Amino acid sequence: MEAIVAEDVHFSYDGLQPVLNGVSLVVRTGEVLALMGENGAGKTTLVKHFVGLLKPRRGRVLVFGVDTREATVAQLARRVGMVFQNPDHQLFAETVEEEVLFTLRNMGVPPHEARAICDAVLREFDLARYRDRSPYSLSVGERKRLALASVLSYDPDVLVLDEPTAGQDYFNKSKIARLVNGLKRRGKGVVVVTHDVEFAAQVADRVALMAGGRVVREGPAAEVLIDAQAIAAARLTLPQIPAAAAILRERGVKLSRIPLLPGGLYAEVIALLDGGAP
Amino acid sequence: MSSVLDVFRFRRKNTPLHRLDPRAKFAILVLFSAASLILNDLASLLLVLAAEVALLAVARSAGEWLRSLKGLSMLVAMILALNYLTLPSNRLFTALTLALRFICLTTAFSVFFLTTAADELATALEASGLPREYSIMFTMSLRFVPSLARDLQTISDALRCRGLELEKGGLRTRIRNYTYLLVPLIVYELRRSLMIAEALEARGFGALKRVEPYVELRLGRADYAAIATSCTLLALTVALRFTSLYEAFVRLQLSIFGEL
Amino acid sequence: MALVELIDVHFRYAGSEEYALRGVSLEAEEGEFVLLVGPSGCGKSTLLRVLNGLIPHFYEGDFRGVARVAGLDVPKTPPHVLARHVGMVFQDPENQLFLSSVEREIAFGLENMGLPRSEIRRRVREVLELFGLEELKDRAPYELSGGQQQKVAIASVMALEPRVLAMDEPTANLDPISALEILSLVSRLTRERGVLAIVVEHRLELALRFATRMVVMDGGRIVASGDPRRVVLEASRLVGFPPVVVAHQLLRNRGLIGGAPPLTPEALSEEILGVIGWRR
Repeated sequence: MEAIVAEDVHFSYDGLQPVLNGVSLVVRTGEVLALMGENGAGKTTLVKHFVGLLKPRRGRVLVFGVDTREATVAQLARRVGMVFQNPDHQLFAETVEEEVLFTLRNMGVPPHEARAICDAVLREFDLARYRDRSPYSLSVGERKRLALASVLSYDPDVLVLDEPTAGQDYFNKSKIARLVNGLKRRGKGVVVVTHDVEFAAQVADRVALMAGGRVVREGPAAEVLIDAQAIAAARLTLPQIPAAAAILRERGVKLSRIPLLPGGLYAEVIALLDGGAP
Repeated sequence: MSSVLDVFRFRRKNTPLHRLDPRAKFAILVLFSAASLILNDLASLLLVLAAEVALLAVARSAGEWLRSLKGLSMLVAMILALNYLTLPSNRLFTALTLALRFICLTTAFSVFFLTTAADELATALEASGLPREYSIMFTMSLRFVPSLARDLQTISDALRCRGLELEKGGLRTRIRNYTYLLVPLIVYELRRSLMIAEALEARGFGALKRVEPYVELRLGRADYAAIATSCTLLALTVALRFTSLYEAFVRLQLSIFGEL
Repeated sequence: MALVELIDVHFRYAGSEEYALRGVSLEAEEGEFVLLVGPSGCGKSTLLRVLNGLIPHFYEGDFRGVARVAGLDVPKTPPHVLARHVGMVFQDPENQLFLSSVEREIAFGLENMGLPRSEIRRRVREVLELFGLEELKDRAPYELSGGQQQKVAIASVMALEPRVLAMDEPTANLDPISALEILSLVSRLTRERGVLAIVVEHRLELALRFATRMVVMDGGRIVASGDPRRVVLEASRLVGFPPVVVAHQLLRNRGLIGGAPPLTPEALSEEILGVIGWRR
């Protein structure tokens, strides 16, 4: 179902320089949307509208049917969880446990239920052994997990992740990919703001490319991430597999399609060797 | 976006005022600040403000200043209200004077900071003998004010996304809510200062106490003129302030205001 | 004598119980592009900081072993001297750029060295030209894009003419196109000027193609070092494979290819052409 609908959103921070120039986009539950483009294309500005931190100058944003201009951030945040790029911007409590409880309290969860949820969530994110430690004593990866844990603790319907893989190592990227897939399977909507094309290729169902404050291309990941022109317009590079496939096509190899992932390319090669379509 | 802090942010433009040596601009700052503090009446302060605005116009920075006044309007209103309600006599006149003095002071600093880059100021200080260790503190403090403002905004956004309503509640609740912002801010800025320190080490900072600056600061004719004029005007202001002529001037204005 | 020589280096940060470096030995020569990778907490950032003396001078602690850069003994040489031999560029441009114009930024390090103004002018001009920054010289660094800012950061340390360029996740905050620009700029410096580049990076799909050597760390030790095409297979458990290598492995497991994996889409497509052509 449609969780968030942006209709022709225009926005500017200082009233002079437009940052969003008429953005229309739909975020659905049960789906992972990758919002991509270079830094400064307006991605973070757009997602801040999803939770009401910013209100459009023109156009509107509906979150589960509610116009964001008529709701507070706290109300919208109950359904749309936002995890910012740098966890240090939000961690402040004395203990790891308190971080999670703080969010649950603000979201109106009764105290003894909050305890139980907190325990469960800390265990799920492998942070239970740190429960009494200060958030600042954790490593960067653990702090990021804590930020995620405290937002997911109140079970929002949509989760927005701002550059979740920036500066993350291989293990953490895999964990985040698994988390995103798990959320999708549970019927949540996930928006991943990223310029990591390989990560998008792995997890995204749909991709929206932004450039100059507009969405220049939007559609299924398998179609958008192989569109060399659109990708270049958004100052991104093709993921490695479509890039290799494109070269093969240029050299006259008859691929039935441009695959997104290694398995797809492998299947194409096998099919060619067997002399037919896969 | 913090428009209040924008009043102190340098914009690079090519105007006579921007081109002045920082020391000349500093002399102008001293003149305006001193005048704002010494003068005690509406008419004179209006004159000071007019002079400041004229300079802002020359510096093509009047727009930035006006925008930031919006942010200061709350404080100005508070000054007006508090004084008007608590003074025994001449309430309107004094309240207006004090509010205007506040505006003149901030505008004086605004004239300086809008036209002087932090590192230009540092170079001027170094030329006057300040060791690099100290001048770098000026540069850094000024240069990171906008970053700090942005971090505060991000932290406040992050907390609001977790359900914290910063605008609601009584005074005590609000103060407690704002303290939630302090911890991440302090931690974040401490971390940032560590990174800055690493970068400074990587650029050989600390090898020498005093260095030959890349940009040569030389006082030109315009600078000497500005300094001389500022000194003269300041002297005149101080002299006039304590004459009976001035007192008569003030009395005249008071009589216009009556018993307001 | 190698340009960088680390022999059995152990380091524990003051106040910490764990050793961040547990017997690290590394030798590197000019002209190399060393890609330093490993899971978070493996010690790569710590290792970098030994190179320019931040460890043990700025970050105190228990330091053992031999660390020599350009013949200088690191624990005995102050960081501002080492800064002339090892330039370090960090992840966040905002915390490395301080001044109001690109030109001044580049001059800053040279001023700190106490060089005469004429020499500073010469080097600034040279560096602006080398990095194609002449048009931006009067612009304020905070007005520039992330990629341009990192270029200025690199230019500012290269002005000191170091023989080693150490970089701690320089492209983490950059979009892929800017990231490739920066990495290829660094590669050019290694090839044209003999600079030794030691770069910490997580995005193998971007950085691997430029590396002449891949060094993998885990738990404070170096666990693999050598030809990227070999090491990427050895260390996959720790750092994963870029997609082209995954594709290669799939074909290899089917017995269709042998040999070292490709590191770029171009190389993969060549391999596949070989496979198809050979079979036909």
